[in-house]
Amino acid sequence: MAPNTQSPARLIAIDGSRGADVAKSADRLAAVLRKRGVACVISRWDASGLFGELAQTGERIAASPRTLSLVYAADLAFRLRWEIRTALAAGEVVIAAPYVETAVAFGTGCGLPQQWLRELLRFAPQADVQGLARERKLGRTWKPRLDRGYPEYCAALFARSAPRLLSKKPRPAVIATLEEARGRRVFQLSGTGIEKAAKSVTGTLPDASSPRSSRPRTARK
Amino acid sequence: MARKPRQPSGLHPLGFVPLVKPLLKVRKKIRTLSTEEYSLLHAVDFRHRLETSILPALWAGKTVLADRYLFTALARDAARGLELDWLLHAYSPLLWPDLVIYFSMTPEDSQRRIASTRSPRYYEAGQDITGIDDPLASYGRFIDRVVTEYENLAVVFKFVTVDAGEAVYRQHTQVRELVKSTNKRPWPVFSKDAVEEWLRTPKAQRA
Repeated sequence: MAPNTQSPARLIAIDGSRGADVAKSADRLAAVLRKRGVACVISRWDASGLFGELAQTGERIAASPRTLSLVYAADLAFRLRWEIRTALAAGEVVIAAPYVETAVAFGTGCGLPQQWLRELLRFAPQADVQGLARERKLGRTWKPRLDRGYPEYCAALFARSAPRLLSKKPRPAVIATLEEARGRRVFQLSGTGIEKAAKSVTGTLPDASSPRSSRPRTARK
Repeated sequence: MARKPRQPSGLHPLGFVPLVKPLLKVRKKIRTLSTEEYSLLHAVDFRHRLETSILPALWAGKTVLADRYLFTALARDAARGLELDWLLHAYSPLLWPDLVIYFSMTPEDSQRRIASTRSPRYYEAGQDITGIDDPLASYGRFIDRVVTEYENLAVVFKFVTVDAGEAVYRQHTQVRELVKSTNKRPWPVFSKDAVEEWLRTPKAQRA
């Protein structure tokens, strides 16, 4: 999507294979943007509370990767409605962490067809800027935790039923899928990547201080 | 007449524990669902029902009567303005039923029947998309769209139509005959992807 230079509203997507890394990268980018005078909001995973409420049902949840992908899509639909679109409409910069790519990469890592995942999430608008979280603890797999992020939540659910998912193989595959994203507006949020991503956001924002030309370029008759 | 004992809440004849139904119920009550969320949460419920209840029963050689299946969701969500192509995708891979019986009714009859017993609920009346305050008036407009979608689906997916305006005894006889004369659709031809994926799922996730 070409950035709309008339409105300051921008959507920045941050994806990664670990919830903690995604959250940390989002916080760091938000801090840099705020330092540059850009007001921004962060939309995080499970804002709808669906995953949290499912975990609280007390039942031993038997859910397949496909079912959980559908729950992720429902959560994203909630975030789009109540957080992302609302903030964009108000002209704000929104950091969606995580966004589409996390679900696509993780679902693909669990054996789901990538095309199915992309089609399922096609209601989500394309981000203006895409960031890939700095991946830490690369040698490790996901810690089964219900409160950390989508992959960790799924790992907690699959810990008993599908322990294979917790082996060391799937995470590198998920990272490889995430890194397939290429382009001018894709940034690795490590080192100077955060600064570059912030610059790419601020660089396209309309500058209120610059004087507008009062004369048309071509003379009118 | 002796009343049929009520099913304990949360249980299902096939021993199925609903995953998102309680969550869905709360969100419907407070009317916070968007069209996509409404559709996706029903898709979650359907997928979970399919994987943990319908497919295990079929695999065990049982006959499953699904009192509303995928097509209800397709008609209802398409009537809400979602693309049929996206809906089919969200529900895929599909497990095609051996027989789809569609109890057809005119929108007017449907409206009359519901009005005689109760007021339709907010989402049932389609008030989220019609914006009409009166539930019955909204239902009248919404059901018109739903019936149109059902009729389109009936042609595309070759439903067997039963006139729901007929006497119950006649409908019952017709349904029994239909079930008796229906041939099984071979899974490898119609539902290969759905069955294969389910078989690949670890056992603990299926039950």
